[in-house]
Order: sequence, then structure tokens, then C-alpha cells
Amino acid sequence: MDKIQGNTLSRRTGNEPMTHHIPPPAVAVLKGSQLNNNKTKSVKALGASMFMNSNKAKELPHGGEFWGKPMSKLETLLYRTLLVILYISYGLFRYGQYQYNKMKLRILNVIYNPASTPQLIRQDVRKLEKIPKRIAAILEMKPVGFVGGGLKGLLNDGSEIVCWTVSAGIKHLMLYDYDGILQKNVSEFQTEIENKLTQYYGPGNVPNYAIKIPHSNKIYYNNHAEKTDDDENNKKAGKIAIEVSLLSNRDGRETIVDLTKTMADLCSNNELKLSDITLQLVDSELVHLVGKEPDLLLYFGPALDLQGFPPWQIRLTEFYWETDNNEVTYSVFIRGLKQYAGCKINVGK
Amino acid sequence: MDNQSTTSSIPGYSLTLKWIKNIFSRTIRVSRNVPRHVGFIMDGNRRYARRNHLQVKEGHEAGFFTMSKILELCYESGVECATVYAFSIENFKRSPHEVDALMKLAKDRIRQIVASGEMAEKYGIKVRIIGDLSLLDKELRDDMNNAMEITKNNKRAVLNICFPYTGREEIVHSMQNVVELAQANSDDPKFIIDEQLINANLYTGDQPPLDLLIRTSGMVRLSDFMVWQVSNKGVAIELIDCLWPDFGPLRMAWILLKFVFQKSFSNRNKKMEDEDLDIDFNEEDQDEISIKAKKSA
Repeated sequence: MDKIQGNTLSRRTGNEPMTHHIPPPAVAVLKGSQLNNNKTKSVKALGASMFMNSNKAKELPHGGEFWGKPMSKLETLLYRTLLVILYISYGLFRYGQYQYNKMKLRILNVIYNPASTPQLIRQDVRKLEKIPKRIAAILEMKPVGFVGGGLKGLLNDGSEIVCWTVSAGIKHLMLYDYDGILQKNVSEFQTEIENKLTQYYGPGNVPNYAIKIPHSNKIYYNNHAEKTDDDENNKKAGKIAIEVSLLSNRDGRETIVDLTKTMADLCSNNELKLSDITLQLVDSELVHLVGKEPDLLLYFGPALDLQGFPPWQIRLTEFYWETDNNEVTYSVFIRGLKQYAGCKINVGK
Repeated sequence: MDNQSTTSSIPGYSLTLKWIKNIFSRTIRVSRNVPRHVGFIMDGNRRYARRNHLQVKEGHEAGFFTMSKILELCYESGVECATVYAFSIENFKRSPHEVDALMKLAKDRIRQIVASGEMAEKYGIKVRIIGDLSLLDKELRDDMNNAMEITKNNKRAVLNICFPYTGREEIVHSMQNVVELAQANSDDPKFIIDEQLINANLYTGDQPPLDLLIRTSGMVRLSDFMVWQVSNKGVAIELIDCLWPDFGPLRMAWILLKFVFQKSFSNRNKKMEDEDLDIDFNEEDQDEISIKAKKSA
């Protein structure tokens, strides 16, 4: 019994430091959570951050060095105070900017609402002068407690993007998530896409799609294509409306490393000369292993972070994201397409 | 240099500016969250020239002037390494006239760095020219090698000038090096090809990892600049809708402040999360221990 009591005690003391931490406002802003984002909390947090800063200054008397000349204690303190002032003013600005951006996004979401009808998306897209041939999207799994969080939220987001892409008439889509969660849950993802497409197009007209996992070299086709006995006929009857490739961190740098290993092996067996390793060869191999470069990359997070997206495939890719947005919404998708339509590509010129 | 005359209409104006800049850079420096490696895509010199009815050459010169101002601010704020995209391999496709002008500009500027050592000496900058130098003519290549040789012992900060450069060429170059190394070390069982090795064989291999990428002129793509480095998780990307010669130190200061602010708060947050995790694990362990203790009792 004594032991257990001791336990609860230690647990309490263990928990105590946590209550002192008030998350600074910027963090809440970065995470996009509106829950811990009220004004009193931000003021408290700024106070806390100020306190922490001055603490730090005491711990590290040789805080900064300026081109070899060490700053005196007083100087460091002065600059730290200035820094806190800068932080406070920037934090205030950031708070305002965040609110403004959120408001803008809310309005945009009202203006651009697909309402699960491909016709509306068609109409939006028809106005554009050009549409990308391939698009990519970076998805993130949000914590389970959040709206649209967890695996279910990720599957839902992914399948929504598939529907928009089909409706826009784009034939290739790359879905990237760092940990490859979509790859691991292909069958669930397939059912989710099936459901969403049924919702958009009606039960009879679900467009044919193929899900490709370049890393394991697997392709999954529509459920009903498999159901019928005559596969040949089916392929002829229904052309594939969209090809979805699922990518993860594994397809990025690691694939380049693997390719290098293979090339080193071939070279040591004298099957490949060092001078044969050219840009063209590497390009054709990586296109084969991962896929072609997308024309447009959509990011649904608050600030662009490529998160290890395959480096070879982002040479001329255009990026689109909305600052402070944290949801997969149609407005981001269509505004990305609009931006793409307004840009001209010039290679080096 | 011509631009300076326009700003000095009020006496002491430039002095005050300098003073403010110094204070700002020291303030940013004490945050200890300054980006270590910043990449710049200096886009928009030609459009700037067209808009201001200048010759293309003058546009590029204005761009160079902006670059030195921006770099000065960066280095004073504590940035260890800056990489600028001066010339893409694809740029050879431009009109021969412009390519010649750019080559000449490069030659002049590199000689200037070597001769006066203005920036290089003041800040102790090590200049490195990276890219496929074999595409340049011999005279320019010699000048570049000379500049690298002279500044190679400087330790404070590094300036990488990407001269005929593309990110994909850099990756292939690194792969070639690694394959060559693998052949040389074929007997060594400890030799493993991994991400680190490819990273180390890039032109930027011995520098800190890229933290921040800045592109001007409103373009929203990388145009084959440091694709390997930028795709890494956690690299901040700033795309700015203004032409490079218009990109002043004030905007740069704003970006630095934003970076430092976000990094210092997100770092702190991460630390807290780690602490929380530790506490959770401890609790579980203790629970398990107590259960075991109960059972044994």
C-alpha cells in the first residue's frame, strides 16, 4: 500500500511542471487550434515567454558573440529585452494576421463549395485557360481528437481530393503522406473512394480509377471491375478516369539512395560504367520508380513544408497553399488550379 | 552603388539606418534561433530592368547590389551560410548577348571580391562557387578558383554562389561521387551507401542543413534549386511577390524575425511535448511496477 501511495505522490509532482506551461499563442496559431486561443491566454503566455527569456539570459551570461567580440552581460540583457519587445509586437501582429486569414478562409469556403456535385467543379474548371496534367497533394494525419483527425479523417480527405481531381478532368494524382499511412491502408482507402465517388456521381456512374503504389509496384483497380467475370471486356469498356499514386517518405531520398546502391553494384560488376550515370539515366529510373513530376503541388497546412516529398519530382512543380489554413478544403484545390492557370512556365528563360 | 546617392538626401540618414540595422541584427542574434543556412533564388532582375527602362545588364547589376546588402544583414544576424542561385544551367538557353553580359558581370564581381575583398574581408566570408564549372570558359574558371583559394581560410561564414547549377545535376554529381567511392572502398565491409553519404557529397555537403529558402518575384516553384535540400522536412519556404532588386533589407529583416519567432516558439513547444511524453512513460512504468509489486505481494 505504501508503495502505491508513493506512486500517486510522485505522479502528482511529476505532473506539476506541466501546469506551469502555458502554451504561447504562436504555437496555438501554428497548430491551427482555436481551442486554446483566447486573449487572456495569449497575454499570459507572452508574460511567461518574457519571464523565460530573462531567465535564460541569466543562465547564459555569454549569450551572444558579435564577430568575435563577446557581448557584456548588460548588452546581452539589453538585446534580450529588445528581442522580447520585438516578439510581443510580432506576436500581436501575428494574432491579427491569423484572425484575418481565418476569416478570409471561412469566406472562401462559403464561396467555393462543391456540394458533392461534379457539375459545379466542372463549371469552375471550365473557366480556366489551362489545367495541370498531374497534381500532387501533401496530406497529414491530424491527432485523433481533432475535427477531421485520425485515420478516418485522412482517408476522408484523400478521397475528397480524388473526387475533385476526377471532376476537374485531371488524370493523374499523387497523394503524399510522410508515414505512408495511406499505403498501409489501401483497402480502406479504396472503399472510402468508392463511397465518395458514389456520393458525387451516383451509384451507376462511378468513374473507373486505379490506385498505384510505386514503391511496392502494385496497382489496384475499381472494385466492380474485379467483380465481373470478363476482365478484358471491362478494361475496354471503361477507360481509367484517374490514376492515384500513393507516395511516402520512402519514395523520396531513400529511393535515390537505393538507386545509387544499385548503380554501385552494377559498376562493381562492370555492367555499368561511371560515365554512364547521367542525368537522363537517373531521370528515367526515378520516373519509373516514383513517377513523373507533378505540375502542381497542393499543401493543406498552414505554411509550406515539403516534408520529404521526392526531391527529384519538384523541379518545376508549382506550389500552392493558404497561409494558416489547416483543413483539406475545396477552396484550396480550386484556387491552386486558378493560380496554375495564371502562370506561365519558362525553363531558364 | 548608384542607389546610395538617392537615399542620402537627409543628413545622417544612412548612418541612422546602419545603426538600426546593427541593433536589429544583434537582437535577432541573441535569440539563438537564427537560420544557419539560407538559400536565395534571386529572380526578377530582368523584369526590374524592363519596368524601369534599363538595360538587362543594369538590372543584373542592381540585383548584385541588393544581394550584397541582404547578405550583409544575414551575416550580421548570425547566418552561417548563404547560397545564392546566380546562374542556372538552363540559363545558357538565353540570348547569347545576355549570357555574355552575365559572364562578364560574374568575372568583374569575382575579381572585385578577390581584389578589394570588401565583403569577404569584413565578414571573413569563405566564397565557394558551386555547380558544373566545366561548362564555363577557362578564364572565368581560373578567376573563380582563384577567389575560392584566397578566401578558403575564412571561417566566419560561407557564401555559396551557384553558378552554372541545377539541383538535379547536383544530385547526379553526388551519386557519381558515391559510386566512385564505393568502387574505391569495395573491400571495406563498413562502407555503406546511405542518405548521409549522398548528402555529404552534394556541393553543400560540409555546410549546415538548409533552414530557409527565399524566392522573389512571385514565382511559386523552385526552378531546380537545391531540390534535395529543400524537400527535407522542416525547411521554411518564403515566396515573395516582389522583384529581386526591390527586395530590401527591411523585408529580409521581417522574414528573419518571422523565422526566429516561429522557431523559438515551436522549439519550446516541442520540448514541452517531449517532457510530457517522458512523464507519461514514467507513469506507465511505475504502474506496471506497482502491479508487479502487488502480484508478488
